[in-house]
Amino acid sequence: MAPPSGPPGVTPSMIRAPPSQLGQTPLPGSPLSNAPPYIAPPPGRPMGAPAPYMANPNPNPNPNPVSQPPQAGPPAAAAQPNPVMGLAASLQNSMIGTPASQSFASRPFPSTAQRPVSVPFSGSLNQNPLGSKGSGPFPGQPASQPYPGPPALASQPVRGPPQLFPGQIVGQPPMGQPPMGQPPMGQPPMGQLHMGQPQMGLGPMGPPSMAAPPMGAPPMGSAAAPFSGSAWQGQQRQGGMLAPVRMAPAGMGQQSMVSTPGAVMGYSPHAGAQVGTPSKIDPNQIPRPVPSSNSSVVYFETRQGSVVSPPPPATSDFIVRDTGNCSPRLMRCTMNQIPCNGEILTQSCMPLALMVQPFALPHPSEEPIQLVDFGEMGPVRCVRCKAYINPFMRFIDQGRRFVCNLCGFCNDTPRDYICNLGPDMRRRDADERPELCRGTVEFVATKEFMVREPMPAVYFFLVDVSMNAVGTGATAAACSAISQAISDIPEGPQTMVGIATFDSTIHFYNLKRSQQQPVMLIVPDVEDVYTPLQTDLIVPLGECREALEQLLESIPSMYQTNKIADSAFGAAIKAGFLALKPTGGKLLVFQSVLPSLGIGSLSSREAEGRTNVSNADKEPHKLLQPADKTLKTMAVEFAEYQVCIDVFLMTQTYVDIASISVVPSTTGGQIYYYYPFSAVSDPAKLYNDLRWNLSRPQGFEAVMRVRCSQGLQVQEYSGNFCKRVPTDIDLPAIDSDKTIMVTFKHDDKFQEGAECGFQCAILYTTVHGQRRIRVMNLSLPCTTVLGNLFRSADLDSQFSCFLKKAANGIPTTPLTQVREQIVNHCINILGSYRKFCASISSSGQLILPEALKLLPLYTLALIKSVGLRNDGRLDDRSYWASHVASISASLAVPLVYPRLISIHDLTSMEEGDSVLPAPVALSSEYLSDEGVFLLENGEDALIYVGGMVNPEILQKLFGSPSLEGVPSQLVLQQFDNDLSKKFNEVINEIRRQRCSYLRLRLCKKGEPSGMCFHSYMVEDKAPGSLSYVEFLVHVHRQIQIQTKSN
Amino acid sequence: MATDPSALGAPDPDGLDAIRLTWNALPRSKLEASKCVIPLAACISPLRSNPNVVSLPYPPLRCKQPCLAILNPFSQVDFNAKIWICPICYSRNHFPPHYQSISEERIPGELYSACTTVEYSPYESNPAAMPVPPPPVFLFVIDTCVIEEELEFVKSAMRQAIGLIPDNALVGLITFGTQVHLHELGFADLTKIFVFRGTKEITKEQILDQLGLSGRNMGPMGPRGPHPQVNGFNHPSGAVNRFLLPASECEYTLNTLLDDLQTDQWPVEAGNRSIRCTGVALSVAAGLLGACMPGTGARIIALLGGPCTEGPGMIVSKDLSEPVRSHKDLAKDAAPHFQKAVKFYDALAKQLVSQGHVLDLFASALDQVGIAEMKVVVERTGGLVVLSESFGHAVFKDSFKRIFDVGENALGLSFNGTLEVNCSKDLKIQGVIGPCTSLEKKGVLCAESVVGEGNTTAWKLCGLDRSTSLTVFFDVSPSERSSQPAHANPHAYVQFVTSYQNPEGQLKIRITTICRNWVESSVTEELVQGFDQETAAVVLARYISLKMEMEEEFDATRWIDRSLIRLCSRFGDYRKDDPASFNLHSNFSLFPQFMFNLRRSQFVQVFNNSPDETAFFRMILNRETVTNSVAMIQPSLIAYSFSAPPTPVLLDVAAIAADRILLLDAYFSVVIFHGLTVAQWRNMGYHNQPEHQAFAQLLQAPQEEAQIIIKGRFPVPRLVVCDQHGSQARFLLAKLNPSATYTTAHEVAPGSDIIFTDDVSFQVFSEHLQRLAVQS
Repeated sequence: MAPPSGPPGVTPSMIRAPPSQLGQTPLPGSPLSNAPPYIAPPPGRPMGAPAPYMANPNPNPNPNPVSQPPQAGPPAAAAQPNPVMGLAASLQNSMIGTPASQSFASRPFPSTAQRPVSVPFSGSLNQNPLGSKGSGPFPGQPASQPYPGPPALASQPVRGPPQLFPGQIVGQPPMGQPPMGQPPMGQPPMGQLHMGQPQMGLGPMGPPSMAAPPMGAPPMGSAAAPFSGSAWQGQQRQGGMLAPVRMAPAGMGQQSMVSTPGAVMGYSPHAGAQVGTPSKIDPNQIPRPVPSSNSSVVYFETRQGSVVSPPPPATSDFIVRDTGNCSPRLMRCTMNQIPCNGEILTQSCMPLALMVQPFALPHPSEEPIQLVDFGEMGPVRCVRCKAYINPFMRFIDQGRRFVCNLCGFCNDTPRDYICNLGPDMRRRDADERPELCRGTVEFVATKEFMVREPMPAVYFFLVDVSMNAVGTGATAAACSAISQAISDIPEGPQTMVGIATFDSTIHFYNLKRSQQQPVMLIVPDVEDVYTPLQTDLIVPLGECREALEQLLESIPSMYQTNKIADSAFGAAIKAGFLALKPTGGKLLVFQSVLPSLGIGSLSSREAEGRTNVSNADKEPHKLLQPADKTLKTMAVEFAEYQVCIDVFLMTQTYVDIASISVVPSTTGGQIYYYYPFSAVSDPAKLYNDLRWNLSRPQGFEAVMRVRCSQGLQVQEYSGNFCKRVPTDIDLPAIDSDKTIMVTFKHDDKFQEGAECGFQCAILYTTVHGQRRIRVMNLSLPCTTVLGNLFRSADLDSQFSCFLKKAANGIPTTPLTQVREQIVNHCINILGSYRKFCASISSSGQLILPEALKLLPLYTLALIKSVGLRNDGRLDDRSYWASHVASISASLAVPLVYPRLISIHDLTSMEEGDSVLPAPVALSSEYLSDEGVFLLENGEDALIYVGGMVNPEILQKLFGSPSLEGVPSQLVLQQFDNDLSKKFNEVINEIRRQRCSYLRLRLCKKGEPSGMCFHSYMVEDKAPGSLSYVEFLVHVHRQIQIQTKSN
Repeated sequence: MATDPSALGAPDPDGLDAIRLTWNALPRSKLEASKCVIPLAACISPLRSNPNVVSLPYPPLRCKQPCLAILNPFSQVDFNAKIWICPICYSRNHFPPHYQSISEERIPGELYSACTTVEYSPYESNPAAMPVPPPPVFLFVIDTCVIEEELEFVKSAMRQAIGLIPDNALVGLITFGTQVHLHELGFADLTKIFVFRGTKEITKEQILDQLGLSGRNMGPMGPRGPHPQVNGFNHPSGAVNRFLLPASECEYTLNTLLDDLQTDQWPVEAGNRSIRCTGVALSVAAGLLGACMPGTGARIIALLGGPCTEGPGMIVSKDLSEPVRSHKDLAKDAAPHFQKAVKFYDALAKQLVSQGHVLDLFASALDQVGIAEMKVVVERTGGLVVLSESFGHAVFKDSFKRIFDVGENALGLSFNGTLEVNCSKDLKIQGVIGPCTSLEKKGVLCAESVVGEGNTTAWKLCGLDRSTSLTVFFDVSPSERSSQPAHANPHAYVQFVTSYQNPEGQLKIRITTICRNWVESSVTEELVQGFDQETAAVVLARYISLKMEMEEEFDATRWIDRSLIRLCSRFGDYRKDDPASFNLHSNFSLFPQFMFNLRRSQFVQVFNNSPDETAFFRMILNRETVTNSVAMIQPSLIAYSFSAPPTPVLLDVAAIAADRILLLDAYFSVVIFHGLTVAQWRNMGYHNQPEHQAFAQLLQAPQEEAQIIIKGRFPVPRLVVCDQHGSQARFLLAKLNPSATYTTAHEVAPGSDIIFTDDVSFQVFSEHLQRLAVQS
């Protein structure tokens, strides 16, 4: 997750062109790497003024530039005395240092290199060995033994020492080791350390890890897996070593147990008041995400032969080696073993879904996706189900035939493609052919995949110039952002741009003319729009750059005195669409007010809802549905012609996002929301958002289909796309940030031991106008053992699934019901585990499956989130819902359970620590009145300033000893002091991680802004909602009721 | 317009009143009137300039309701009682106080017996009350679906026009092709164009809304509310200035726009016509003017380069395989777009008339552009129409320039005219043919039978000029009482009241009152004396044209023949059944010839012309003076030779001689025809030799004469210079009486010519006429 370096790495061009070429030809992605994608707003430069942004000698870009990478590894390694290390180190070098440097060196982006910082810690992967060896107390890690059917009891004691205690939570393995540690390794069988080693040997891992902090040192698993459940700080410190007080007698391999006070203390579950005894639970002992130290990278091999390892947490830092299954960044399943039949799945209550993020940014150190050209013949496919050739197709009959792993059909191998089989029954050339050994490949699309010539990259900008837009500075901000962003678009002959502005009419501009001035062509009919020209509205960027820049400069002044308050948004996008219709392309709309005129105009339903209280009260969620079908119908037509619409809402009023969001969500676009728009602080974000929007890896006119093995079938796709036929989804545009959720249901049974294959194929056009098919394969083992399902459950994916389902429900279901459903879902899963996998343990204990032990916390956070809170504005809620619809698994959790870090003590961090300090739990208890804290969820960043902060700190951070007069919509500046520098580094690091330029807001204690901040303290008790401890009690009680009733 | 050269020196046939009646003595009864064959009609030229017309600086005095006739020389005045009696309704009216000082010695101008025509300038005596004259408005509508070369011609014509437009005149620009481009001239930052789609009919309200002129979208900028009416016209408000700017302010912008103007950029598919949305363009123009300046004198000047192929007003589809409708198609009802288009333009005409605005058409194309359909708009609004082959052709260039001419040659374009007719009650008004629209002011004076714009006694003339001419048809319908000799008043009075804004924007009211005698039915002699055969021919031509348009299956030739025969039977001098004895009074003598030529003219023989041409010819016929119209029916022919001074000669093929130059004025075209010998001499360059000065002069004379004709005429006629046996000679031959055809080739005098036709010659025609007229 390294935005800066990421994009370039992923650019398709990379795939094609050898690095050397890359260096020469400027590719769309490459400039990015030169300049950081997220650039701090220049201090004191409120808006406009494009240049400074770029010129700004940014602090964040690459604190440790090119030079660093190679060294980075070694030093760390060197620090370690262990001889084994030496070997490891060298190994590591060879793997990371060398190859990386080779491949990177020639690449134009230095920033990639920066990633390696973490490399040294990659060793920590090996915590496994460490864990096993060093952590004497828990010697064998038997638990990890290849998940044997019934969780080995034996293992239980060893590894999952569920500790019970009143008021204390049992974390699992006190040792940092197991649960998570394991996944990162990619070696499922824990015990096989040794095995692991050698295996790892291939990779860099091995030894260096030894270097990892001695012993039970905190990081352990955590290092690898930030959110791993196994070791959380508190526990380590306190009870880390504290022996399993009571072994849960039963228990699956991995589970967390929380005993609720009520239960343990013998409270009867009926009394709500008794919840009031949370003090009995040590809040420090309840499951919390392990702070990611960010300092270590996990290496992950997607398969080892027939063994499939669960991937590292989505939010962690890891490097994938594609050894048959695709990277978990691209496709991630809610469970890493597939239930053999529907009953088991139903029993588990867990969702079976894939999070597909086809253009996810790779780690810079990962191998690029390989491009395969089958020439005229086109990619080899199964004749029956049309699945693409993949590593799981089984060749038989001396290679003359192959069996499809999805439908089981036996195909004749095309003559040109025949190759003999080796003794292992694999084709002899399997390792040379990416399509036979890699989970992800790209095929060059042949003519038969094209209905027309691949489209060029076309960007059409639509800017609101109505009175409000101009007045609030939104127009100027948009123009300046476009102007700067455009200067970053490389001038491929294929890149075309166009622009129009609108108020009550739509104004096109003919940029083609040789004359000095562009011509403004006004389309006044906003009920029934049309384009004023057949050609010349969209012009190759190279031909009009100057004219466009000039125009963008003059638009704000041209409309300075505009008195037209109306805004014909619907008509404008329709007009933009008509201009794009012949080619398709991206339509970027900058809108500031409620669309009030013309086709698809909207009314201020919010106000109506307020005046007509009885109605609003009855069905408030109706206001979260689109006002009517007009925009949807339009959007479907847009999608049909491959037009994708992104909407930038820079507003200070209600704009009915519920209705507007239909357009981007149907066309593969997204909404950007700047509320309340500030001409001071928002232009920087707008620019960065736009820039990322244009430069991130992306594809056009895409069609995607997910196929799966017989036994399962796709139930539903969800995300931002248009669906016209049942099997495929149409994506006028798809980019690295978008995720599509695909749910499955059983239509047959699998044999135990069989594997279930998933194949996602996405046919798209690159920004360079090449037609490609990206094929991602995932093959997972099937199981009949419920315990395996829980053990292999993927928290991030499951939570994403929760989140998306909740978002889907918002417009159609009353809020209370949505929340209830979510809580019930959580209870059902945990209840199922309790009932079927941990039934032996006392009912007084809350036993959580290890993999899902944070589910209650996240669920609690979810029902307290912006989208599901009662007090949210309609637009905020709608925006939240639309944002969530395409959110990736790695950003889903942070959105709901933000990261909180303290700022005031940044300078006290030791050198060599990672940029980011360890996060703090989202509880007011951790906030001190003397402190300054930063909370970020990937979208917003709130800076909380306590009531008694040392003025010196304020002076350092904000340039003023008091916050009087510092606006809450903050423009971050860097002052010449350590704290400020550090703070800026932190912010920039977060921006990079989240691929998002955060909206900074200053929250002062005792003011409304402070209240807002507190609403994110999800562990706190708030009026009408439970605290975390109370929630756990509630969950436990419900499970008890369930169990009893059965 | 100006004077007809042939009338130079001769007394103005139209006289002071510029009114010519078919019959200057009126038959007393309906029966007699019908026996007269030729309908009773008056050709009036209300604005014809005449230095003798008295101008009165005060408002006219009207008779009481409902007559409202204006005080005139035929009124009886009782100077003592200060009372006047209206000659039309016999009402007694008291003079108002400001007339109290009149006496037999001191009578106001309008009562002078010579002043049958006077012009009032109501505000002249009280300039303070006079509203500021609104500036004229010129809204140019330019077709860009033309080839580059044509567009260049247009541009140069436009540049010239911009230089000629008075500084205070408001100018607007619309260009169109596939779509309509309305240029916002008042926008300084860059070229700003409102684009309307060509496919969709658009109402005036929509146009206003979309241009932000309706007040709905104006927000705080300009709540216009109800239009501030200032004496019937709107002051150009701020919003208007966006589109219509004083010429002095937008000259630069306009010139820049013209420089940048490109031909229509929308692609034309192979095998297709350009997509041209003339209808919408005109709608937009009308809508804009309606918003900006209702009630002021504004003209839409449309320059069309081809047919409307899309949207309302479409006359032909864009598919080239479909030809533009011909007369044959129209006759067979096989023109699929015709009725729809006419309906659209009819509505447009109504809108323009209600706004008081004018549409001028300048059509320059080899193919038709749809004048036949648009005729209704041009004619109802009193617009100008010019038809030429190319924007580079002199016919267009010179005509276009004429609009903006000032001084001697100016067209005298006036606005917002209304015509009222009052007449003695034994006369009823059937209607008017000419460039006007009924104001639907019904009354007792309206006849039951209608001709042209009827059922009214008032008409709107949105645009009129010095040459504008109207034909008012009357019906003789005496009441019981008045037909009794005892009560009979020997005089019939007709009063024409024309109010209008002159080119300077001043309100003028011109009154013409005429008095004619009733003739008792038996006295043929008086009728004959009062017959005006030229006027009769013209009225008949207009009447027939109208009937041909209105009535299906109308056989014009036959109708003419029968009328002529009946007329000759009634007024000829002959013995029954003796053709040889047939003789006609001199007042009738030319009439058969007129009819012979009318039968052969473009007005009756439409099949040689496209519907556009026919429409064009008829519009001009209907709006021109009698003299000019006669030239259209029967061209004049002058011969130039060494042997004699220029002499008018018979319009006959026999007039052709090898050593003659002929000058034919057929109104729409002027032909200089060199006889074979003359042409040879000229080709040999004799006229360049000093010793052949005379020859040079001979060559020069018809040229000069032609230039005089051309200069005084609008639209500018087409000048054809040709030689005997040359291909262009057909312009002459087609007009000549085919007295010598291929059947009589042997009888032809040397040097003369023959015409290849089966048409009968005038001689044959006369013989038949005589024979039939005398038949009992």
